[in-house]
Amino acid sequence: MIQLAPSMLRKVLKPARYTGGEWNQVVKDLQACEISFALAFPDVYEVGMSHLGLKILYHVLNSRGDTCAERVYAPWPDMEEELRRRKLPLFTLETRRPLAAFDLVGFTLQYELSYSNILNMLDLGGISVYAQERNIDQPFVVGGGPCAFNPEPLASFFDLFVLGEAEEAINELVDCFAAWKKGGKRGGRDGFLRDAAGISGVYVPKFYLPRYDSKGNLIETTPAAPGIPETVNRRVVADLEAAPFPVRPVVPYVDAVHDRIMLEVFRGCTRGCRFCQAGILYRPVRERRMETIVKLAEETLANTGYDEISLVSLSTADYSCLEKLIRELTDRFARRGVSVSLPSLRVDSFSIMLANEVQKVRKSSLTFAPEAGTQRLRDVINKGVSEQDIEEAVTAAFRSGWSQIKLYFMLGLPTETDEDVRGIAELSHRIMKRYKEVTGSGAGQLTVSVSSFVPKPHTAFQWVAQASIEELRGKQALLKELLPQRRFTLRWHDAQASFLEAVFARGDRRLEKALYNAWQRGARFDGWSEHFRFELWEEAFQSAAVDPNMYATRERSVNEALPWDHLNSGVDKHFLVKEYERALNGEHTADCRRGQCTDCGVCSSFGVGPVNWG
Amino acid sequence: MAVQKLRVEITKGEPVRYLSHLEYLRAIERALRRSALPIAYTEGFNPHMKMSFASALAVGVTSSCENLELEMAEPVACEAFVNRLAKDLPEGIVIKRCREVPLRGKSLMSEVRLASYTVSIPVRLPEALAGERFAEKVIESFWQAPIVLYTRHNPKGRREINLKSYITDLAAKMENECLNLLMKIRITGEGSAKPEEVLEALAAIHGSSFWEPDEALAHRTGLFAVSGHNYIPIFEV
Repeated sequence: MIQLAPSMLRKVLKPARYTGGEWNQVVKDLQACEISFALAFPDVYEVGMSHLGLKILYHVLNSRGDTCAERVYAPWPDMEEELRRRKLPLFTLETRRPLAAFDLVGFTLQYELSYSNILNMLDLGGISVYAQERNIDQPFVVGGGPCAFNPEPLASFFDLFVLGEAEEAINELVDCFAAWKKGGKRGGRDGFLRDAAGISGVYVPKFYLPRYDSKGNLIETTPAAPGIPETVNRRVVADLEAAPFPVRPVVPYVDAVHDRIMLEVFRGCTRGCRFCQAGILYRPVRERRMETIVKLAEETLANTGYDEISLVSLSTADYSCLEKLIRELTDRFARRGVSVSLPSLRVDSFSIMLANEVQKVRKSSLTFAPEAGTQRLRDVINKGVSEQDIEEAVTAAFRSGWSQIKLYFMLGLPTETDEDVRGIAELSHRIMKRYKEVTGSGAGQLTVSVSSFVPKPHTAFQWVAQASIEELRGKQALLKELLPQRRFTLRWHDAQASFLEAVFARGDRRLEKALYNAWQRGARFDGWSEHFRFELWEEAFQSAAVDPNMYATRERSVNEALPWDHLNSGVDKHFLVKEYERALNGEHTADCRRGQCTDCGVCSSFGVGPVNWG
Repeated sequence: MAVQKLRVEITKGEPVRYLSHLEYLRAIERALRRSALPIAYTEGFNPHMKMSFASALAVGVTSSCENLELEMAEPVACEAFVNRLAKDLPEGIVIKRCREVPLRGKSLMSEVRLASYTVSIPVRLPEALAGERFAEKVIESFWQAPIVLYTRHNPKGRREINLKSYITDLAAKMENECLNLLMKIRITGEGSAKPEEVLEALAAIHGSSFWEPDEALAHRTGLFAVSGHNYIPIFEV
């Protein structure tokens, strides 16, 4: 166990980020466990502790008698400085052992701007940053999560990736590891990796080779060893009812970003927004039964002492028994001082009714996401929201006493013109006018939050050129001009950070050097504006002789080979091509949840189907 | 509606040493919720437990005597309260005792007048200075100084305080290459001092380069109220 000196913990912000011991943490007898697995989130504790996926895997792994799973988060720069100065390795919270002492270290890949933290954590944990430099005693570094669907920029740093939902796959992976270890580690590291590559959903990048033509265009990525599958399929849990759920989550001392019970009511969303990667990667929709959700809520409340339950999913208002569920939960828990919250709302009056139901008294603020300012552009992205929906939703909200509204938009969407940007401002002004009409007061507050569109792999927009940094800044400036500060609060994303995100989202293995260089130059916490230093990345790209614009702002032809073509989300590429064409024609594609199948290919590829209980 | 008030003495041990007061408080709230004990809540939009502490404890300091009062919605016998809460407290927080107090009594915070601490700090003494005299000299230099100033920095600016106006007792002993101090610090309406501040001031006036104030481990051993001319443990008030 690594000793943490008082003089060190006194120098860092929120020292309880590093001292563990939280309620429900699992500390196992290391002698009794054959396999040790560190679960790593490459961001600060409060962010990592808010992630449901790792809570599920912590529960799944620690339910095994032969395995101990422990947690580790990215140390804040003040703590990194202390660790490096004192030559202490990065350690897990449960038993304070260095990362290098584990058999497997699994990182969740939630966003591209956390990549520099991954390299940093490996290095601090005493693990060789490059996979090929790891010897037989070093851990296997495993990646999962949405960015694993194009992990090519990370290929040199990871031993393997798991594609899709890992509840089942992680057990198969650990079984495979246990067998290899018991068998005397036959075949060395490659011996295990070869066995693992046989598990559905496991991608071992070193067994695949990308080939480029003389101009540097990708031709294809193919297996480089015999017996390795040509494509790796995403894992899907067919029955969410039977899937394990962590009813004893670790309860943090430090205030986490989402410090409440997160109850997953369903997985997947097939509304079909064409920019949305999660809408593809978690298909099809699979609901939990209402009775199951209530039972899980009861157990988790008793085990944690939380006073809030958040009903989470990609689009909770679409849960088929939501009204009944909310009524049941508030009936049961309101007396006990437990509140229920909904993380996202649809733009319609049904959602307002629900919001009223869960927040009977305190009307804080409501958030809607029209995503685009004009009907034309909303049709392009398949956001099935009309001007009338928005009108009705905000009117209902104002009538029932909500005065603070937040609107989410994206800038730089495909085919966007200045007229669409102006549309955002006009819509915002119309909403303020509506507020005055309904309430007779001019004191309403409207927050307009605009992010920058980042084209993502496996979506209908995966071929699209991202708007350049200058273009994005121009659009932001136009909005600033049209939304006067005294009535509107305008928030936007840093255009340079969105550019970097786009580079790595659709990057290939040739970015490896740039990432390494940026980390060496000090890039950390790139998703945090106070730590993001774009100039480090510019230098890094230059020294690696890589043109980042090749990845971000170049339009690709639909015939071009893509770095993730060998990784199968289950959605057919020709469905995406068709959706891209329909986007350009402004044609709507309906939700398949209860309606007609849109032939995306997921259900037939994986033998699954939508599950609705309402 | 509250029908009963309980005064509880609990610890803040090594495993939770680095919690802030707010984090510590929330950990206790969650333990109370897990225990399903009938705590009274405030009315309003955002109900919270009717719970109040005698004195906040700083990050990095442990304690064997944190006192808090809780209002109950239903009467609970002290023994049952202790037994039920004990199993839901995280490692490092132990409930020591509990007693019923009048519902309308004065708050603990308004009664508390004094806190006692032990502080242990590794000292690297040159051979010439080894022995009992070093500890004595430290204490002497503190009492001999007419005032002992400490400058507090916070976002609002800096403020100088005279630590001597807060210290009622100060003793020290060298043990196993550690300087072990015992200090009693007054808690007044105008403020108080922290053990780490006293230590920094001691290092400054004794010109000591033999210890790093950062390495100190402080532990609160008692909280006291005034009864007549005597200090008595706050739990007993």
